[in-house]
Amino acid sequence: MNALARLLEHPGIWRGRSLTRIDTLSSGFPELDARLAGGGWPKTGLVEILATHLGSGELRLLLPLLAALTQRPQARWCTWIAPPLMPYAPALAARGVNLSRILVVRAPQDMQWAPEWATEQALICGACDIVLTWITQPLKPRIVRRLQLATQRGRTLAFVLRPWSARIAQQPSHALLRLGIEPQRNGDRSGVRLSILKSRGGAQGEWWLDLDAAQAAAGV
Amino acid sequence: MAARVLRQSLSVPQAAATALQLPLAIAPAGSPPAASLSQLWLAVHLPQPDPVLLQRLGVLAQRFTPRVSLEPPDGLVLEVQGSVALFGGLAPLYRAFRAGCRAAGSSPMLTLAPTPLAALAAARSGVSFKVLDQQHLVSAVSALPLAALRWPPQVLQRLSKLGVYRVGHALRLPRAGFARRFGREPLQMLDQLVARSADLRPPLRVAERFRAQRQFVREREDHAQILQALQPLLKQLGEFLEARQCGITRLTCRLRHRNQTHTDCVVRLAQPEAVAARFLEWFAERLGRIALPGPVRSLELRSGELLSRAPVHESLWQPSEHGGGGAAGSASGSLEFIERLRMRLGELAVHGLICQDSHCPEGASRSLSPADPNFRHAAGAIRAPQIPGQARPLWLLETPQLLRERAGWPQLDGPLRLRHGPERIESQWWEAHGVARDYYHATDVHGIAVWVFRERQPPHRWFLHGLSG
Repeated sequence: MNALARLLEHPGIWRGRSLTRIDTLSSGFPELDARLAGGGWPKTGLVEILATHLGSGELRLLLPLLAALTQRPQARWCTWIAPPLMPYAPALAARGVNLSRILVVRAPQDMQWAPEWATEQALICGACDIVLTWITQPLKPRIVRRLQLATQRGRTLAFVLRPWSARIAQQPSHALLRLGIEPQRNGDRSGVRLSILKSRGGAQGEWWLDLDAAQAAAGV
Repeated sequence: MAARVLRQSLSVPQAAATALQLPLAIAPAGSPPAASLSQLWLAVHLPQPDPVLLQRLGVLAQRFTPRVSLEPPDGLVLEVQGSVALFGGLAPLYRAFRAGCRAAGSSPMLTLAPTPLAALAAARSGVSFKVLDQQHLVSAVSALPLAALRWPPQVLQRLSKLGVYRVGHALRLPRAGFARRFGREPLQMLDQLVARSADLRPPLRVAERFRAQRQFVREREDHAQILQALQPLLKQLGEFLEARQCGITRLTCRLRHRNQTHTDCVVRLAQPEAVAARFLEWFAERLGRIALPGPVRSLELRSGELLSRAPVHESLWQPSEHGGGGAAGSASGSLEFIERLRMRLGELAVHGLICQDSHCPEGASRSLSPADPNFRHAAGAIRAPQIPGQARPLWLLETPQLLRERAGWPQLDGPLRLRHGPERIESQWWEAHGVARDYYHATDVHGIAVWVFRERQPPHRWFLHGLSG
């Protein structure tokens, strides 16, 4: 038995469950933390978020994490690549995000490759804690894999925010985690319907989450 | 009688002058204090006024001492006492300076004296003058003609009527009467001449730039070849900047073609930079996007202004290793990353965010260029109290989007449900483009939280201005 345990510790042996012991960061939503593998967002790796509309709540979902990461004294950059609109500084500051750690990268219209390229640069340079990328055009699985590997090199957490279409949702993904988000009303309360489409080492599932109520409870 | 007056006046302000000089000279440890307080000035006088040559000699003089000042149009003084030990004595220093002047194509008059004015006056009068200590200064300068001090002609004329032609004669005149008749300024100069009062001169500051050229034997067309040719020039630039502990934020490479035409390739940086390899990387980036109109005959590299650059301290640990890497801004890697993005995507592509005091919603958020001094030091999180009705959206449209209306209700893919509001925002009413709006938080048919407003002035249109993300 002892010999077996020692054998299983060999780095060459990969076991399905070993990946569940990943370093995680709290998402700020207890309901979400409970369903994510390891109890939160992975500390490094690629997370895909598919949103049905711009403004579905994908940014509100990430705000507690952004606030926690940017307020650390040793915080690295929090880079936003090709955001669809102008992030509004007073609102971010009011929710506890440290603006001096935010870097916005705009992709010129005529450079189709710019968001992917800038994301890879941001991931491998090691100067960013977290990278948010908005990519609207189709993304090849090869690129997703490449970005996933880049997160390992720079020890960065990347969120790729993409529109949720049936075609994209069916594509296999190399991301650690793939979430779908859709605004949905529950009676009189507005909230989002979150779906875990893929989770390495975790379970799939979907449920309703009230983003504003959870944030109000957390005092943000 | 006159001599006694002089001696009296000499004795009293002498102490004051010494006290003034104290902070100017730094005494090397172990040397006798009297010697360490003294100064020794080397003056240069050009036979013909030549501002260009004078500037060159000024730069040359800065190799010997930082205390160099120009006396346009034809003079230059430098304090050498502090540098004597570095050159192994006064004679080697003097010889080295003279050799430097010859190499610059001039053999000017050189003199040495404990005060700059004495050295300068002696050099102008063309006499060999090497006075090293203050005790012999007064007797030595007495023989110099007063004209060498370049006082106004009418002063010199009136002095000559009194039979005063030499410095010694003027020094013997009573101070009070001298000041009354000829003004305070000549008296002040006499005091400075014999070190009775301090002579503070603005040091020469040279606005240095780097400039280097390279001609090609054969015209080059290929970008790779041009870059290869650029490499030694950039290496020179790197050494130039390293030696001065400076960096530059602007570097131009001029590619000359036939028929006097040229193409400029400009690299602009957010932070002063001095590493040649990075310049090469950025030029490769820039050149790749330029279509050259023809083959290149020669290259010229010109730097912008030199800026002082704090030496970069590299972290011992890798980022995120034992909390290494430091804060985002201090790690040199992060600046390199920002520069790389700017080079490829354009200078405006990368920016930070900052809050601004403004009632107008558009004015409250501003993007911050990496070249801005506030970048990386912007104020941290401001936790404004969140009033539900006055919360701000996470996304703002740069220009509000006009909404359709049906029976007075705003439409966005369907009717909007207004949840909070109105919040009245009025600002800059004293200007033509002031805003007067009623803002509402609303939800659209998909359940997305939006921020809309209605104009207060007719035609009372509805606009979409923000999304809650």
